[in-house]
Amino acid sequence: MDLRWRRSALRLTVIVSALLAPLAMASEAYRPVPMPPEVRVAATELDGPVFTDSKGHTLYQWPLLQMRNGVTGDHLGTSECNEARTDVSAGLMSPYPGGLRLPDLSEHPSCAKMWPPFIAGAAAKPVGKWTVITRKDGSRQWAYDDLPLYTFYLDKHAGDVLGARSDRPTLDAPAVRRPAGPPPDVPPGFAVKTMSTGRLLVTEQGMSVYYSDGDAHGKSSCDATCAETWIPLLAPNLGRARGEFTLIERSPGVNQWAFRGRPLYRYALDGGSHRLKGSDTSGWHNVYTQLAPRPPAEFTVQDTTAGQVLADSSGKTIYSYFCGDDGVDQLECDHPGETDAYRIAVCGGGDAARCLKTFPYVIASAKAVPSGRSWSVMLIDPASGRPALAGQPGALRVWAYRDRPVYTYAGDHSPGDVNGDSHGEFRAERNGYKAFWLRDDFFSRDQPGPG
Amino acid sequence: MLALLSAGAHSEESPLRGGTIAYAVTNLRWATYLKPEMRVDCPQGVNDGPREQFKSLYPDDGTVRELADTQLQREVDSWYPTTAPDRFPFREAGGVVAIGMNLDGKVGPNDFTSPEGVPGVDNQLYRALGCINSYRDAHGTNDELNSYEVVKESYNRWLIEITGVENLTNSPHVEVNVYRGLDPLHTDATGKGILPGGTQRIDSRWGARFIQHYRGRIVDGVLETEPADLAFPWSVFEVVADEYIHGARFRLKLTPTAAEGLIGGYADIETWYLQLMRSQSTHDQSYGQLSSISLYKALRRLADGYPDPRTGANTAISSALRAQFTQVYILPASKAALPATASLPHYSPYAGPPFPRSASDELQGHEKDPASSSSGNGQVALKP
Repeated sequence: MDLRWRRSALRLTVIVSALLAPLAMASEAYRPVPMPPEVRVAATELDGPVFTDSKGHTLYQWPLLQMRNGVTGDHLGTSECNEARTDVSAGLMSPYPGGLRLPDLSEHPSCAKMWPPFIAGAAAKPVGKWTVITRKDGSRQWAYDDLPLYTFYLDKHAGDVLGARSDRPTLDAPAVRRPAGPPPDVPPGFAVKTMSTGRLLVTEQGMSVYYSDGDAHGKSSCDATCAETWIPLLAPNLGRARGEFTLIERSPGVNQWAFRGRPLYRYALDGGSHRLKGSDTSGWHNVYTQLAPRPPAEFTVQDTTAGQVLADSSGKTIYSYFCGDDGVDQLECDHPGETDAYRIAVCGGGDAARCLKTFPYVIASAKAVPSGRSWSVMLIDPASGRPALAGQPGALRVWAYRDRPVYTYAGDHSPGDVNGDSHGEFRAERNGYKAFWLRDDFFSRDQPGPG
Repeated sequence: MLALLSAGAHSEESPLRGGTIAYAVTNLRWATYLKPEMRVDCPQGVNDGPREQFKSLYPDDGTVRELADTQLQREVDSWYPTTAPDRFPFREAGGVVAIGMNLDGKVGPNDFTSPEGVPGVDNQLYRALGCINSYRDAHGTNDELNSYEVVKESYNRWLIEITGVENLTNSPHVEVNVYRGLDPLHTDATGKGILPGGTQRIDSRWGARFIQHYRGRIVDGVLETEPADLAFPWSVFEVVADEYIHGARFRLKLTPTAAEGLIGGYADIETWYLQLMRSQSTHDQSYGQLSSISLYKALRRLADGYPDPRTGANTAISSALRAQFTQVYILPASKAALPATASLPHYSPYAGPPFPRSASDELQGHEKDPASSSSGNGQVALKP
């Protein structure tokens, strides 16, 4: 390991240490809502609190989405996800027409098989925002906020949220499912944003919120000059303390919001939503309601021309693969257990062997230690790209994020190169590779995680 | 204005401070020259795009088709382009007039004449783009979008700083520094009119790869620089993508409030194509009838500079950018924080997709694609 990579590894440690600031030690608080007896709330690593069924399976919604050539998703009070298998593309994303036979139909699931409806028992009664709808087959399904609820076939354990990738870009993405959950317990004017680094506290306009090491608990030491750069987040006269948010009196009659006792600010030079720029100033930190698991020690962090990406031990940028088909039910196709026709097309021109060279897997060392539920080691059959069985000859032990392998790109030659970013259909939002962004100083992407 | 240019060069009102003036880019377009009548420069009309080509290849005749054989195959062909013969005719821009510079100092059979009548203009990129609606002024979706993004995204905020300026009319020796700025542009109340006099901080961290240096002179109010490679950011749709021009040179008319003119040089084809593919999906390309599959073949066919030492095939294409800059002040503190030149990271042009481009698909030397409709001949290969 040369000095450059040692420096990168050190930087990863520094970044992760910085994230482990006192304000982010706890998991995210939420506002309790009335729920049916069979529903729970689970804390998750990346997505905060979510609703689950009684077995801990995360519940998802499929909101209606206007695509390029039409609309798909669930209308309020109606489920469009059923047992009938979709065989052809819908043509929802131009320029290609619909009616093309989808790949690997023999293993193509129905929507309801990939997204089993959250069935309501005969005795189920509406409560709060929870209602019961009748499916087309006559069965009853729970809905929240009038949107039907589903589980995801890959979620096995409580806290799994494998069906909704908050790291997914959204400009031209498929009509994706989203985990349903109780609202975060933040006062009006605040929101929480899922980032690759954690659940970031932002204003309702999306601007990052900061705190200072220079402030004592419950007291701001940021004077008028300081406040030109670090803008105190003032509470309205009617503002009241709630949960972990309190009020401190900045001057007589002027209150400032505090979180876990620390006065809160915006950074005047952030220049866009959910930025991390202010944390470059010594003693100032972004505020997270909870942190994402730290990346495994085998990874490094590299500076690019737009911010920082996660990289492998040799400094090559890490990529995630995203895929959603263009059937009317917009099914997932980015897990190695699902059809690989899309991925093999964009990474190898239809040749799996070329894929291994173009976007190689990130091999886990023999001493690899998974991190949380998000970072795991997966066995892959390199010949097929499918999951391998334990002990299978030739199987690769590869790093996976959210149960999907991560990759590097052979077209990256120097640390910080991101030449493989957006490689694929629709800037890789529908079928392709996105760099694993840890920090983005230039673009207010909807989800500046790896994508 | 004249008074400002001369006497004002040293006055407090002048943006020329201590022999230094800076500008931020506010408009950038690949140079095309279009006659009022399309038939003059595109006598066979404009090129087909992805929709038209798809319909031609897979007509709506009731055949049940596989997505893998159609849609996905077209994506494969786009992402791993080759110089194999095109299945569609490619319409190059004709005519003899084009905007650009004489990059090789020669007047060759493929060269254009400038609108002012100067011969020897090297701009084969115009020949490739001129009959694609996406790059035509009246319809040019790419042209408009790319330029819009130059202003919108701070990622694209590249700055030029000219030092050693005696006055903006004539200065025999000036230095030109290229940086990326960090700040929004100063606008009028509409938010669209870019005003001079705004301030910019230099991005010495993320933008270190874009710090470059040129030498030149100002003659009769026009900045001209010596050729040197230029890398600059050009992100569209929030994709981190850049451009690389071999042997770039600036020719800009300078005023105290603006700089306007051309940036000429040999665009690195793989970098150019990568920027297009990553930024604009096939859907986006369809708006302007831009078939990347066909365009790549044309770019390689018309390439006229920087031959690959291994294959002899040209890797770059003569080009020109029409550029507009607005005067800005660079904050001295941010300049003081610049890293030493020796420690700046090196910017390398993209080398092309590593796989699965087949060697048998590549041009050998300067052999012409037999299926092309190219009018290009006698292409000049320059040594880098």
